[in-house]
Amino acid sequence: MRVSSGRKFTKILGAELDKLVTLPLIGFILIGSFLLNLVLAAAFTSAGQQDSAGTQSMLELGLASLRYTQAGYIILGILAACSEYSGGQIRTTLTVIPWRGLQLSAKHLALAIITVPAAFMIAASGVLYSLFRMSNTAAGIDIGTMIKTLAGAAGYLTLTALLSAAIGSLLGRTTPAVVLLLGYYFVVSPLAGELLPGYLPDTAGYSMYMHPSAGEINARTPIEGTGILMLWTLLFITAALVLYRKRDA
Amino acid sequence: MLLYTWNHNRKEVLWLLTIHNLVKRRGNREILSGISFIARPGRVTGFLGPNGAGKSSTLRILLGLDRATSGSALIHGKAFAELPNPLTTVGAALDGSGAHPMRTGRAHLRWLARAAGLPRSRVEEVLEIAGLTNAAGRRVGSYSLGMGRRLAMAAALLGDPEILILDEPVNGLDPEGIRWIRTLLRERAASGNTVLLSSHLMGELAETVDDVVVIHHGKVVADGTLAEVTGNHSTLESAFFALTSERGGDVS
Repeated sequence: MRVSSGRKFTKILGAELDKLVTLPLIGFILIGSFLLNLVLAAAFTSAGQQDSAGTQSMLELGLASLRYTQAGYIILGILAACSEYSGGQIRTTLTVIPWRGLQLSAKHLALAIITVPAAFMIAASGVLYSLFRMSNTAAGIDIGTMIKTLAGAAGYLTLTALLSAAIGSLLGRTTPAVVLLLGYYFVVSPLAGELLPGYLPDTAGYSMYMHPSAGEINARTPIEGTGILMLWTLLFITAALVLYRKRDA
Repeated sequence: MLLYTWNHNRKEVLWLLTIHNLVKRRGNREILSGISFIARPGRVTGFLGPNGAGKSSTLRILLGLDRATSGSALIHGKAFAELPNPLTTVGAALDGSGAHPMRTGRAHLRWLARAAGLPRSRVEEVLEIAGLTNAAGRRVGSYSLGMGRRLAMAAALLGDPEILILDEPVNGLDPEGIRWIRTLLRERAASGNTVLLSSHLMGELAETVDDVVVIHHGKVVADGTLAEVTGNHSTLESAFFALTSERGGDVS
């Protein structure tokens, strides 16, 4: 019985992966985010080179652009969830895979499988670019720190995409989910700044790859940041699962 | 082989659709008020009613998409989600294509095949059956209404299921498409499968169905063989109007 459940889940996961890779928008967003990130990383690196004080480490210069390109991962998550509601696909999905909890969990796992390598590549490309450009002016980077920071950045982007997928699934429609999440990440959070508590998904999540500057009040370690963002993600995925199992499709 | 023989002998029991005292409320509105009927193997059952009568709601509950307020809708005694492999048991086609407009028809059928553990060659077979082989590489968004319906039918046939549940299958089809559906459904029933289809098009239904269930305002107003329901009326269409206007007054 357990074996058959495992095989069932593998089939569902395969179908969910197929859905993601055959949706052209998903590929466009991943490639678009990658290219935009390189352009922004170049801009940040140039600005960093002119700033002779050189207070930012090379890693942070290379990753600064992720604050903007995370929009791609937010949209990616929303699209992965909300594409079900386009063309009545949700009804097809549920008449083939009526086990809603398994199906939505497999969808999140499929999204993570695609996001982890893409997020790692986007983070690494920014850092490698700044490393290459600044190789003459800065001291070398500790490889261990670099890998940890890159893993933190990739983890942040992946968790953000999963959180966005859960919110997309809760709302069931692309536009309100995009407005809500981009509005929060790019308007409310930056404007409110330190008025917002430090345990919100973005503020806590940044500490996964950005080291706090000295004297910052809400400073957290990368482990704390990871834990907090994971909790947020699990909370929203759980809420999405509960609602998805209950509501009419 | 043993399983097949066992299934074959028990088909009469196995592939029965039983809807019993189904009630569905949304807010204060009662959409279904105690619907009961049976769809039998080897027969095409037409589920007939004007728009808004509750046909789609009944089919959606039967397919596990919506929850009933009370009552049951079972597929050989089981709720839809309890079927071990739904796609090879029940083929369903609801409104539209049921596919994301940005995906190609072939990609849509391939993920379905993957979910059910079917080979990719089966996708090509159903594309051929539905007459979509040449359009399979195009995005579903570029399909005509009729092509979208054919894709939905291809998806329903993918698992070669014993049961077909179709909501308004001839909607949007050209005369050739309507004829294709008619022949297909008759063939499926002739080989012992159960076919349940909803329609508000009386003329199309009369030539395809064996049994008829008429609903109006969420209630069954007639249930029997085509001859029984038609009764003394000249056509099924006139019987339908007589049944639905006597009971409910206005037919939309």
